[in-house]
Amino acid sequence: MLSRMTNFWRNIFAKEKTDRDLDEEVRSYYESLAEEKMRQGLSSEEARHSARLELGGIEQVKEEVRDVRTGAWLDSLLQDLRFGARMLRKNPGFSAIAVLTLALGIGANTAIFSAVHGVLLSPLPYAQPDRLVMIMESNPRYAHVWVSYPNFQDWQRNAQSFLQMAAFMQQGYDLSNPGTPEHVDGSAVTAGFFSTLGVRLALGREFSAQEDQYGGARALIISDRLWKNRFAQNPQVLGKPATLDGVDCFIVGVLPPGFRFWSDADVYTPLGQGDALIINPRGSHDGIGAIARLRPQVSISQAKAEMSTIQNALDRLYPDDNRDLGTDVMPLKRELVGDVSGILVMLLGAVGLVLLIACANVANLFLARSVARRREFGIRAALGANRGRLIRQLITESVLLSLAGGALGVLIAIPAVKSLLAAFPDSLPRNANIGVNAPVLLFTLGVSIVVGIFFGLAPALKSWNADFQAPLKDGGRGSTSPHSRAQSSLVVVQMALTLVLLLSAGLLFRTIRQLSEVDPGFDTQHIITFKVGVSRSLMKTVASTRIAYQQLIGRIRDIPGVQAADFTDTVPLSGQGGTIPFWIDSQRPASLQAAPRLVGFLTGPDYFRTMGIPLLRGRSFTPHDTVQSPCVVVIDSTFSRMYFPGSDPLGRTITFGFASPTGPCRIIGVARHVRHWALDDPTSSTQNQMYFPLAQDPDQWVLVGYPYLTVVLRTPLESATVMPAIKAAVYGAGSDQPVYDVRTMQNIVSESMSPQRFPMILLSVFAALALLLASVGLYGVISYAVTQRTHEIGIRMALGAEKKDVFRLVVGGGLRLAVTGVALGGITAPILTRVLPSFAHLLYGVSASDPLTFAAVSSILVLVALLACYIPARRAMKVHPMISLRYE
Amino acid sequence: MTQDQTNLLQGTLDMMILKALALDHMHGLGISRRIEQITKGTFQVKPGSLFPALHRMEEEGWLVSSWGESENNRRAKYYRLTKAGRRQLESETQRWGRISLAIARALEAS
Repeated sequence: MLSRMTNFWRNIFAKEKTDRDLDEEVRSYYESLAEEKMRQGLSSEEARHSARLELGGIEQVKEEVRDVRTGAWLDSLLQDLRFGARMLRKNPGFSAIAVLTLALGIGANTAIFSAVHGVLLSPLPYAQPDRLVMIMESNPRYAHVWVSYPNFQDWQRNAQSFLQMAAFMQQGYDLSNPGTPEHVDGSAVTAGFFSTLGVRLALGREFSAQEDQYGGARALIISDRLWKNRFAQNPQVLGKPATLDGVDCFIVGVLPPGFRFWSDADVYTPLGQGDALIINPRGSHDGIGAIARLRPQVSISQAKAEMSTIQNALDRLYPDDNRDLGTDVMPLKRELVGDVSGILVMLLGAVGLVLLIACANVANLFLARSVARRREFGIRAALGANRGRLIRQLITESVLLSLAGGALGVLIAIPAVKSLLAAFPDSLPRNANIGVNAPVLLFTLGVSIVVGIFFGLAPALKSWNADFQAPLKDGGRGSTSPHSRAQSSLVVVQMALTLVLLLSAGLLFRTIRQLSEVDPGFDTQHIITFKVGVSRSLMKTVASTRIAYQQLIGRIRDIPGVQAADFTDTVPLSGQGGTIPFWIDSQRPASLQAAPRLVGFLTGPDYFRTMGIPLLRGRSFTPHDTVQSPCVVVIDSTFSRMYFPGSDPLGRTITFGFASPTGPCRIIGVARHVRHWALDDPTSSTQNQMYFPLAQDPDQWVLVGYPYLTVVLRTPLESATVMPAIKAAVYGAGSDQPVYDVRTMQNIVSESMSPQRFPMILLSVFAALALLLASVGLYGVISYAVTQRTHEIGIRMALGAEKKDVFRLVVGGGLRLAVTGVALGGITAPILTRVLPSFAHLLYGVSASDPLTFAAVSSILVLVALLACYIPARRAMKVHPMISLRYE
Repeated sequence: MTQDQTNLLQGTLDMMILKALALDHMHGLGISRRIEQITKGTFQVKPGSLFPALHRMEEEGWLVSSWGESENNRRAKYYRLTKAGRRQLESETQRWGRISLAIARALEAS
């Protein structure tokens, strides 16, 4: 082995010395042979001649020795590479266009693949992530609902399928010490949450069972980020105090850098110390999720079966809360990734089409050039190069090009990925994981090589059908060659693929237009929303809390320029909101799980005026609707239509809630329906809405619910103008009150369209890229044809053809290709959109086979094709019959 | 079929070269003359096959080469068997013995 390596080394790197040695050896053999012959009596002349004959050519012998040497293949590869590089350098224009084209195609693929890899392919950053599952509950109405904490505790005690089980609940906290008051994202987790994930804390420990219960020590775990920003990475941070929501806690652990679960939480508290109103009632399903690690050898379906047995037993034990309640066990990754996989795969497909178009362009360039190089290959073949060697030469050149394209593509992809993530921070889950990393580079390398072989081999094989000798015989000018047919079909395919991309981008564009024109049911202009962390010193009692919030909103309303302002617990189109079971009058359902659901809004009396939601019937809330007065609600028009068809809802009652239902409350008004979940208002989600006055919120909920309230405010002023006054007004009541999540309603509405906007913008970029590449391709083919047919055009003109006939001839040829492509794409596109449900689901107000969109994008494509043909057609018209014929 | 034939022929040439070098080190022309001599002229090794074989066998580690003076004072490259080369010669000889015996029997049988 070692000797083989030294041989290899010597043959490749000490090539000259080895060659000199060989030359001397063969020469000495020849001289000795000649001397031998002379000794046998031949003259010097005859001896040399005879020796040369016997030797059979010094150069040939040397060549054969070189071929048996170790590394001969590498040697010839290096030779091919050197020659290829020389050829590419000799045609800088050709090489630059090919490399740039490929770089665009490969770069776009690298960018999208980095997202696919980061989100879908790479494992979760936990120990043995494929053994982690998420457990959710289900009821007859919803496949997945959050988990009831008492049920979770019973699972934890009884289930055998899991090594460990833990629960979590996303929460926000007001952190007021150390440092300036700030609202931070956090999570309440059970003891054993981090060990279930297999994550080791950087410092300290996770919560103990004693801490994870009501009245336990106020332990706190912080993120690496918070440790850096607030505690200066103090290694003695354990045991240090921090004030969270006005409660003094102490730090028991610091998480490793980059840890993330569900969201970027900065603080973790023990879930068992959570609000009794949320975690104690078995009927409460309020934001708690469960995760577990499967025992080795246990499959998900086995775990599912065991869980459903346990749940059935619980349902029988606690029929009031649990009847009809089921469970579902699913891979954690699927839950954390969500439903973007369809979109990402679709985008990867789209960007793959762009690459195909780019490849077709370069293949066309190669075809055109292989005609120009036919003489070169003819000569090389005549000098003894075999066919395989010549094909290898062509492939080496094309792979060289595609590798250069790939390298440039990576340089394009890196900033592209960065700006993509910056432009759509929330469109992709796990986006911290997205980047151009080693696996992505490997993908790019693989794609580049495959692409190089693909577009190099096609023209190589194509030109090898031709006779090698032929190009040497004539002057290299033929009539229409088989190449032009191959080139034309490539252009047709390019046009068809471009049409598909244009069409899908066009459909999404129309969808966004339609969505923007949707009337959401309220006035989205001039509204600002934000949250306030009211000082805990003002929230000692329920009564003081109510007063503190009343005073806060009063101070905000007094600010000049504020037309109206009030609180709500749920902002439309913001992604907030949950559903609540209810019943009408005294029709209490047998099981709470089977009860119908409504979308509930807890609002102040000025909410309708602030939002511009028209009241259709009855009255709105007044300051006189308080805990002391009879309970009242306002419903929306959809509620009225669904549950009171043909009857008057006013005066009827609604009772709502899980654990301790509120009501019966009298319906006093009907407001206009508001598009809450999304502008396209999916009918699959709960539509009927109900408003409940904040002032009537039962006492037990005030301390739990009030900190989550959002202020909505109507003002003609810009957010930047009015916010300082608002902050001053808020801070006036206590400097430890952070103002956060400041957004305008316009922002919220626009972000609600990001599921469509994200793929639309990407598809538009891809479609534009495809259009550019395809028109360059068409231009290349047409102008090549014009060059090839200069002679023919000359004859036609000599025979009396007019300039416009020539123009029509050239443009007509190009147009035919474009129209064929459009037809082909028109047939393909509907099939594609139909088999891609993730695409069809995005559309709103426009059908997948929308004729208007089709007509629009086809005309764009044909117009661009015309432009691409125009320049070569102009050149064709300038052909002078005499000049073109003189070359005969 | 063609492949086997080449292998057989190549193996034969290798064996001849090894055998020729078994007694003493030799240069290229000496090796081909020695082979002619021991096979009584049946095998005539052309330089076109001799040199590739020599270089290949050197890379295999069966031969080592060094520059020396030839009988008529000419600089020539001499080849010498290595230990691995001797082992190779032994195993080639045994293999050849088995093959020729088998072929002889096969021909007698028919």
